[in-house]
Amino acid sequence: MKKVLGDKKAIAIFVLPAFFIYAVFALIPIGYNIYVSFLQTDLMSPSQFVGLKNYMNLFKDSTFKLALKNNILMVIGSLIAHLPVALFLGNILFQKIRGSHFFQTVFFLPSVICGVAVGLTWTFVYNSEFGLLNKFFEIVGMESLQHVWLSDKKLALFCIIIVVMWQFVGYHMIIQLAAMRNISGDIYEAAEIDGASKWVQFKAITFPMIKPILKIDAVLIITGSLKYYDLIAVMTGGGPNHATELMSTYMFYQGFRTLKYGYSASIGVVLLLLCICSVFLSNFVFKEREAKQ
Amino acid sequence: MRSTAKDKVILTLKYVVLIAFSVLCLYPLVWLFLSSFKTNSELYSNPWGLPESFSLANYIQAITEGHILQYFMNSVIIAVSAVAVSVLLGCMVSYAISRMDWKLSKITMSIFMLGMMIPVYAMVVPLFSMFNRMGLLNTHLAVIIPHIAISFPMTIFILTGFLASIPNELEEAAVMDGCTIYQIFFKIILPISKSSIVTVAVVTFINVWNDLLLPQIFLTDSSKMTLPVGLTEFQGQYTTNYVVEIAAVILTIIPSILVYIGLHKNIMEGMVSGAVKG
Repeated sequence: MKKVLGDKKAIAIFVLPAFFIYAVFALIPIGYNIYVSFLQTDLMSPSQFVGLKNYMNLFKDSTFKLALKNNILMVIGSLIAHLPVALFLGNILFQKIRGSHFFQTVFFLPSVICGVAVGLTWTFVYNSEFGLLNKFFEIVGMESLQHVWLSDKKLALFCIIIVVMWQFVGYHMIIQLAAMRNISGDIYEAAEIDGASKWVQFKAITFPMIKPILKIDAVLIITGSLKYYDLIAVMTGGGPNHATELMSTYMFYQGFRTLKYGYSASIGVVLLLLCICSVFLSNFVFKEREAKQ
Repeated sequence: MRSTAKDKVILTLKYVVLIAFSVLCLYPLVWLFLSSFKTNSELYSNPWGLPESFSLANYIQAITEGHILQYFMNSVIIAVSAVAVSVLLGCMVSYAISRMDWKLSKITMSIFMLGMMIPVYAMVVPLFSMFNRMGLLNTHLAVIIPHIAISFPMTIFILTGFLASIPNELEEAAVMDGCTIYQIFFKIILPISKSSIVTVAVVTFINVWNDLLLPQIFLTDSSKMTLPVGLTEFQGQYTTNYVVEIAAVILTIIPSILVYIGLHKNIMEGMVSGAVKG
């Protein structure tokens, strides 16, 4: 037994192919990316080592600052849009209700659809001429509310947050629902016997028990919002006038449209740091919980 | 039971909320589907109603002039090869990590798990430069290889979780019967892990199928593009002919929806458990 499961040659055959691909095409690029972020390069002509200049320029670049601000707004907007709604719907489905499975399946559906298709679908909804939204305001006689939604600097980002919400509320709901299902039924039976109302049960049992998952979910939403790309790329392309630019779209633009790869790589490093920070935040939260128990 | 009337009201309210949200989730897709049969002028004059006839003209135009079939085939080639390699190699590593005896198994696992927090944006510039030098730019491999690499953390996380739950007796009995390690892996472990394998396969498939960034960066030739990139091409080309674009969107999302209808349990489980770790 030991001999078979400890066979060094077999272990090498099992591990090395995947590890090789992972190391060469995921780990090394990360390190290489940090190196490129110190260069001024178009990847063709000889590159020049410029130290931290790319990073200094980043914080002088008003578009980057706008993208960072938009990313933060995205994070806050997604947190507000996702957590309470997902929790509300999750709690309804958690209580025994007929058709629960059907509703879960329907709510989750948008999150498996390609972001480009979702983005295009919603550009049609927001379309100023035939879009559903403006037509709806026309029917109910509130033409004053009609807008050229995605070309309006003030509204565009908000419109996109709505789409993000449409796409991912069901996904976060399923995560929270899974956590609720892990709570032992006995606790609720005892509460029922004591005459606790559903609201009291939610407040005193469900919410505190799923708090750790809520915190993880919050981190997921944060890292998720840092990574959005498809929706913006399709719906506004970062416009109008960079009003919906995110770090991801700006990185793509700087690298693969204006060929400033070093600069682009430094935006990638900033994104990586932000993601690592939010993961550490989650680990910290986890540790805190373990310490309490 | 004094509160039945009140309970009934609450229950009705709950259903109102659930049904309203279902409509919100499904209506844009239904509207898109119905619109895909309309003519352009119908789209403007009658955006809500049913199309006058269910003509396939838009689909035919999307396929003949928009090269949708070509994009579709490219997407299939890329997604299927990425999933096949990722799942096979992922299973092998997961088995070695969770069942076999070697000193570095814990460290190897941690290194793979590190990948969960890496955003792909921190890799694309170097990958572009590497593929450029390897002459792989503008080939399907340039999209397939990074997708395999970034799928490993989630695949391995889910599979090791499952494999760790298999009782030792199974392998012991197999060793008694004189099975080699490869026979154990292919004839015993893989078959009993079928459900977890389907889960990781389908989640990887959806991730690769839906991705826009990598094909947009690594492919330049329109004949090699995948569906999401193809759709963005449509945007520029047919700025006035929306209905053809709508038909193309429908063709893009149909495979995901079909896969979802068939395997939604695995998909939900996989996407949720893979995420909660990250």
